[in-house]
Amino acid sequence: MNVPEDLRYTSDHEWARLEDGKLRIGITEYAQDALGDVVFVQLPEVGASVGSGDSFSEVESTKSVSDVYAPVAGTVVEVNTELNDAPQRLNEDPYGEGWICILQLEDESVYSSLLDAEAYRKLIEA
Amino acid sequence: MVPFGGWEMPLSYPEGTIAEHLACRRGAVAFDVSHLGTVRVEGPDALERLQSVLTNDLGRIGLGRAQYTHLLDAADASVTDDIIVWWVDDERFDVMPNASNTAGVLEALGGADVTAERAVIAVQGPDARRLMGSVAPDAAAVPRFRVAPFTWDGRPAVAAGTGYTGEDGIEVAVPVEVAGSMWDAILDAGVRPAGLGARDTLRLEAALPLHGHELGPGITPLQAGLGWVVSWTKPQGFRGRDALDAERAAGVPRHLIGLSTDGRQPPRTGTPVLVEGRPVAEVTSGNFSPVLGHGIALALLPSELLDGLEAVELDLRGRKVPARVTPLPFVAKQKG
Repeated sequence: MNVPEDLRYTSDHEWARLEDGKLRIGITEYAQDALGDVVFVQLPEVGASVGSGDSFSEVESTKSVSDVYAPVAGTVVEVNTELNDAPQRLNEDPYGEGWICILQLEDESVYSSLLDAEAYRKLIEA
Repeated sequence: MVPFGGWEMPLSYPEGTIAEHLACRRGAVAFDVSHLGTVRVEGPDALERLQSVLTNDLGRIGLGRAQYTHLLDAADASVTDDIIVWWVDDERFDVMPNASNTAGVLEALGGADVTAERAVIAVQGPDARRLMGSVAPDAAAVPRFRVAPFTWDGRPAVAAGTGYTGEDGIEVAVPVEVAGSMWDAILDAGVRPAGLGARDTLRLEAALPLHGHELGPGITPLQAGLGWVVSWTKPQGFRGRDALDAERAAGVPRHLIGLSTDGRQPPRTGTPVLVEGRPVAEVTSGNFSPVLGHGIALALLPSELLDGLEAVELDLRGRKVPARVTPLPFVAKQKG
């Protein structure tokens, strides 16, 4: 299972990448594999303010629906509208074209509190 | 793999549910449906036993044919199980209930549970017969709703022109000892394996009922739009006839309808259906339609609301989404 070294992770199977004080967020390869074929993504609204751990997006497959939780507190500044017509990108390229949204962080230091690749790998192999 | 009625079943193979679904609509796929029960009813009184219990009339068919039929609850005529009967030999019927209902069907009909002795593989799709032709030509040639014996690996097997996808295809029952060689030969012929996920989205597009959803406790054949499964004229009657007569005389209180949304978000079992803002029913089955590219759902709506009803709303996890009343099936079998 692919767990890129340069990303941080949550125990809810989201990944996060720090980009100029902003955080790009998606779901992990493990998560998309467990979900099966993704057919719909309910994107958060640009401008929405979210608290750490808030459910702020939903990913639905043919078999189930999963909440996506904000890894940290912040404001949604961009969403991947390509997913409206092509939600299968979450399956095909979860760490690339399957990104879900970008958060403006309130406090950049919280990024380092997220799981690193080694810790996340241990979590999914447990 | 997921637990299903006491069986371990694949939800999907590596290609995934959508690819498997589209392969069935455009080519051919194989499902291992050995979880369906087989109750063998044999003997000189076998026909009469089935005729006096099940709703459909085997007098309409004959040896070498298959028939879809219902077993009803005697008290309220709700559908205890929906069943395919294969008329295999003069005095032998293979009755195929849903996995979890085998014991109830055995109790109602007598006979022997031979589920563990055979495997059943459904080969479905527009290319199913052509590809099966290179594997087992006698099985591949069995016409729709016909049943015929064939031989596989030197063992007696049965093929039927039946299925649960809305596509043409055949189902084969082979002794469990030669099930592996049958499955391998089918895949080697170019048929792709498909799991429970695709089986469910395919039957939903075809508006075929699933027991526990569109059929089950409290739901009669008339409510589910399956009046054609009930013979009112055969002299033996059927279990639940009095209760079903009473429903017919009083008026059927609700009817199964199809609903379509514009967006991709899948309606789900239990999704509230709103008419003029008021919840009136719940979706019995719903999903994303891979062929149509939008949400589809089945629901049992109160009959008094149906006259002229064109649109409803679905409460999809707190969001009200418009849905159109849609003729069934959602996806019809391709001609030719």
